[in-house]
Amino acid sequence: MKRLLSPVSGTLREYLVAVGDRVTPETEVARVESMKMEIPVLAEFSGRVTALLANPSATLEEGQPLLELGA
Amino acid sequence: MYQPAASGAAVGVALDRSTRGRLGLNWDKELDEVARRRVLAQRMGGPEKVARQHENGKLTVRERIERLLDADSFREVGSIAGAARYDGTQLVDFVPANQVAGHGTIDMRPVAIVGDDFTVRGGASDASVYEKLLYPERLAHDLRMPIVRLVDGTGGGGSVRTLESMGFTYVPALPGWHILDGNLTRVPVIGLALGSVAGLGAARVAASHYSLMVRETAQIFAAGPPVVAHAGQQVTKEELGGSQLHARNGTVDDEVESEEVAFARTRRFLSYLPRSVYELPARVACDDDPNRREDSLATIVPHDERKVYTMRPIVEAIVDRASFFEIGRLWGRSVICGLARFNGVACALLASDPYHYGGAWTRASSEKLTRLVDLADTFHLPIVHLVDVPGFQIGVDAERAATIRAGVRAMSAIERSSVPWCTILVRKCFGVAGAANRPAGRLSMRYAWPSGSWGSLPIAGGLEAAYRADLEAAADPPRLRAQIEERLRAVTSPLRSAERFSVEEIIDPRDTRRLICEFVQLAHHALVPGPTAQPFRP
Repeated sequence: MKRLLSPVSGTLREYLVAVGDRVTPETEVARVESMKMEIPVLAEFSGRVTALLANPSATLEEGQPLLELGA
Repeated sequence: MYQPAASGAAVGVALDRSTRGRLGLNWDKELDEVARRRVLAQRMGGPEKVARQHENGKLTVRERIERLLDADSFREVGSIAGAARYDGTQLVDFVPANQVAGHGTIDMRPVAIVGDDFTVRGGASDASVYEKLLYPERLAHDLRMPIVRLVDGTGGGGSVRTLESMGFTYVPALPGWHILDGNLTRVPVIGLALGSVAGLGAARVAASHYSLMVRETAQIFAAGPPVVAHAGQQVTKEELGGSQLHARNGTVDDEVESEEVAFARTRRFLSYLPRSVYELPARVACDDDPNRREDSLATIVPHDERKVYTMRPIVEAIVDRASFFEIGRLWGRSVICGLARFNGVACALLASDPYHYGGAWTRASSEKLTRLVDLADTFHLPIVHLVDVPGFQIGVDAERAATIRAGVRAMSAIERSSVPWCTILVRKCFGVAGAANRPAGRLSMRYAWPSGSWGSLPIAGGLEAAYRADLEAAADPPRLRAQIEERLRAVTSPLRSAERFSVEEIIDPRDTRRLICEFVQLAHHALVPGPTAQPFRP
């Protein structure tokens, strides 16, 4: 079980994956607005999404868990 | 090319053993005793401890040295230093000192090397011979060669056990630290954390130009979990000082998955640098066309300023093929740092990463940038800077992190550097951090892509601040805002900046490699060997 952390502080705009989706390190899993830009968040790991951990439009801190990845 | 003589080389006329004995010239007994002690020293902490080292996923110090250096190049110094026990005049036990030291070569260039032997008393100081720890540092310092530290243990640091054996305590001091520190201003220093390292061991890793740690087998801390538990924190050593923490906060530059990769990265890092500050980096033959045009660069930056793009493919496209060596990938991530070659000339490369705060300078990225600029200045590497900087990171997190303090330190590093600079304005360049796209006080060759966008403040955000009164008084504020924005956009074309020579040249992105190769061709003649005015600080 791995947790993907937000690389930046900002506002969560949307998740681009749902629970059950398979991702690879290059998959864009969410978009965060930060420094007036839409910043895609990459999965960094391979696996299956097991949980989304933040609410859309939530204010995120850098390092806040965004989602959980299982094998 | 430097190569040590083969060991055991015969000198003069060879006499057989019995002839030597007859002539009273026989030192064989003494030499046999030296050889016997060398064999004892080679056992390190003994087969059990060596097996445990392997079970823990770690190589022994002698295996590490063998794999890091060129084959058969290691010349050990202090090979029979250690703690001996005698019965009368008879040696009955011998435990080698827990550092192995000497010199050898990497890619046929000399390096000093020192490694902790964790199999002897866990690398702790009571089994060390401090003078032996300092010898390779002094060797590197005085004979001007890089030093690699293979740290595994406290590496000469304290243990309360020494209280009993010494019978007194002392005001802490680090005899010889001035040599370690002096090496930072003189020769390349590499610190590898290859196990749990604490105290002085941790300091010896961090006091380097390049440091790394091995994932899961290496941890770094001022004091380990048992000591921290006394302060009320129950943590594992991995939680306290693993690479998931320290390769992401800048304690070390990088994490690697194995010791083999650690050694490969050490060799690679050294390949870009001169032997010492008294020499210039070697220029290597380049089989990549310096005039190569990279079509992908023409379509990489989106017009929509809110959309990001990936910077690393730009870097890979412009440097000599496969020559980019990234440093610090996991920390200070809004700035990409590394070493690279352009037409065979070793350079330091800085590039913004829009995926992290849009490329804005954070505290950590400012610290990372400072470190690379100081490295470049120390070892005479021209600097290439690919800029997409919307400014310093803004917001509560940024203020809490004391970003501006680290930011102005980065600006000082840039301003005080003396190596030639080349700046490519890829996209945004705003504010104080944007102004630091090059040193202000001297020449930097600079080119802008047509996607360039700059100013003291971006229009978005800046507009509301500057026209607040007008907007508040307006009957239809959104409409007025749109009108003002249109007026402002009309004058922010890079072409208008070029009219005033505020930007020197606007280029086709596909020509970027050719222009940087031209720059290094000029720059490498302007490099001056010798110590720098701004000595490197870790």
